[in-house]
Amino acid sequence: MTRVLVPLAILEGESASAGLTTLLEPMNVTVLGYHELPEQTPPDQARLQYEERATDALEGLATEFGAADGTADYRLVFTHDRTQTFDRVAAETKADVYAIPGTAAPIDRLLVALTGDVAVERIVSFVGELVCDRDIGVTLFLATDDESAGRELLDTAALPLAGRGIDVRTELAVDELPLEALVDAAVGHGAIVVGERAPSLRTLVFGEEAERIAAESVGPVLVVRHVEEGAGANGNRTRSDDS
Amino acid sequence: MDGPPPSAGGTNVEGEAPQIEPTIETEEASITDDAELERTLGLPGGLAIGIGTMIGAGIFVFPGLAAGRAGPAAAASFAVGALVALLVALPASELATAMPRSGGGYYFISRGLGTLTGTVVGLSLWFGLVFATAFYLVGFGYYGVDTLAELGLAVEEALVIPLALLFGAGFTVLNVTGTENAAKLQNGIVALLLSILVCFLSYGGLDAAGLVGEPAAPERFAPFGAMPVFTTSALVFTSYLGFAQVATVAGEMRDPGRNLPLAMVGSVLIVGVLYVATIFVATSAFGSEQLSRFGETAMVEVGRHYLGAAGAFAIVFGGLLATMSSANASVLSTSRAIYAVSKDALLPRRASRINLRYGTPHVALGMAGGPILVLTATGRVELLAEVASFLHLIMYGLVCVALLALRRNEPEWYDPDFRVPGHPVVPAFGAVASFALIGFMQPASQFVGIGIMIATAGWYFYYARDVTLKGAL
Repeated sequence: MTRVLVPLAILEGESASAGLTTLLEPMNVTVLGYHELPEQTPPDQARLQYEERATDALEGLATEFGAADGTADYRLVFTHDRTQTFDRVAAETKADVYAIPGTAAPIDRLLVALTGDVAVERIVSFVGELVCDRDIGVTLFLATDDESAGRELLDTAALPLAGRGIDVRTELAVDELPLEALVDAAVGHGAIVVGERAPSLRTLVFGEEAERIAAESVGPVLVVRHVEEGAGANGNRTRSDDS
Repeated sequence: MDGPPPSAGGTNVEGEAPQIEPTIETEEASITDDAELERTLGLPGGLAIGIGTMIGAGIFVFPGLAAGRAGPAAAASFAVGALVALLVALPASELATAMPRSGGGYYFISRGLGTLTGTVVGLSLWFGLVFATAFYLVGFGYYGVDTLAELGLAVEEALVIPLALLFGAGFTVLNVTGTENAAKLQNGIVALLLSILVCFLSYGGLDAAGLVGEPAAPERFAPFGAMPVFTTSALVFTSYLGFAQVATVAGEMRDPGRNLPLAMVGSVLIVGVLYVATIFVATSAFGSEQLSRFGETAMVEVGRHYLGAAGAFAIVFGGLLATMSSANASVLSTSRAIYAVSKDALLPRRASRINLRYGTPHVALGMAGGPILVLTATGRVELLAEVASFLHLIMYGLVCVALLALRRNEPEWYDPDFRVPGHPVVPAFGAVASFALIGFMQPASQFVGIGIMIATAGWYFYYARDVTLKGAL
């Protein structure tokens, strides 16, 4: 089963909405409680003081994601650099997807963006697994300049989903600014699934683009991580085998 | 990992016990029972901490004072200082890779030699850093006044101390409210300083070698004999305080087995070479006698001598940045030193409270900032520098002793990635050299230093006599 990493700024009171916990029910979830510290504070010093409080909060959250059924766990990290932490934990837990929590009521339709150079097949298979046999509709979205190729891509991608009995629609935006078009299309969708483009999630998840998507759509954003061809779950930093 | 190490025990007067949990160290994180601590510093970050702390005061404040005492042999004094620092940096590197935890020298000594020495070193380090910071700030005050003078504003020397106090208070407040991007700024400052010094040295070096400019009359290398060379080493050793600060962030450094030794030894080598070359160039530019008359900002005149007004301005600017970066780095180290001892119940736990709003240790920063301002107000450059060196040298010597003790009776958990070459000669020399350098200081500095050590030992017997730390990882 695919593992989804849900990073939460735990000591700043960030938590997951009911909509997100319900949406991620069929998935394995790792709740990553993190606390980012200014450079002058040793992470260990913060741990000493706040570990208990953070662990309590995290246990509660992990339960909401189904810790009792063994499909969710949590990790607590004190760090100076959250993106480095996300990269490392995602690689260690072999999580293929990140969630930017957002706020969400029950979700009945997902917007899946296939724009740009993303791993369409992996995104589509993740969406299939996510929707499972639940009554959640999917809108496949693509912004492109090449109408016919775009149409073809959308139809190909929709096929396996429709085959699983999922209510699939497609939406093609031609000659529009991709980001604006995506945000416009997000209206009426509870959550957005996007693919990570660059080797690092930094550029998408916490770059301007993802923040805008997350901020303007309000709801959760699920980011399917970029995986380098032929590499394992992590391709963006050399690491030793034992870590 | 390698079998359970002996655990810490005992409580202090307030009933607090040392907080020590089993930790697994990987290259990218420290993992305790329930939480992980990300390692976010790379080799450049480590080098910047070492160089940034060291490069400030030494090269910009001491040339005049040192030349007055030792003549052109002041360059040798700086070389002796570098050698001592190197002899300590190697053992400290081994210990840091064996125990890549935050805490630095204090941590190694309390674990290797026990609670009494740990308390004395830990608390002395706090005071040592306070003295060092006060010294940096006074140096900053001199450069601040010179900056105003270069800008054409006639100001008096009386402004030195108020200016230093103002900035001391400013750093403390800045650090309490959080310094986002301070490390990047620090890296930038270090890079800028290095380039200023290298430009200056290349030109000055050519001149000193007689290739450009007018030939200067050669001077006797050590006009006052060998003794002043060593007393001057004791004075200027403050310039090398900082390499061990790298070990205090050991818990935050990626791949500590490789990066810690490289950062510590590398920063000593880089800084040592720069210092020796700078003094050589400075004493070649002017006679040492004239240099000493220029006082704390003699380097400005050296800059003016070689490159005119632009040179003077570059050095003034560099001096400001350097003393600032040293002072700021030391304020931060002080709060880390306080955290390390309070975690081990040698000080009240509340001393290391973090303020959730800013995420900074406001109590510890206050315990650093207050005494720093008091000492800065005294304005006694040489005394401040020597006491700072005294207290650090005690720690450096004991680090070497701790290494010898640990190696003689290697505990099961002791598995450093880096081993000192030439053991046991190098650490033994390191210990002897550190303690010997103290012997060359002025009596006043020795009295203050010994007084502080006695006071910290008294604190141990009153407050933390029952705490045991030896071998507790």
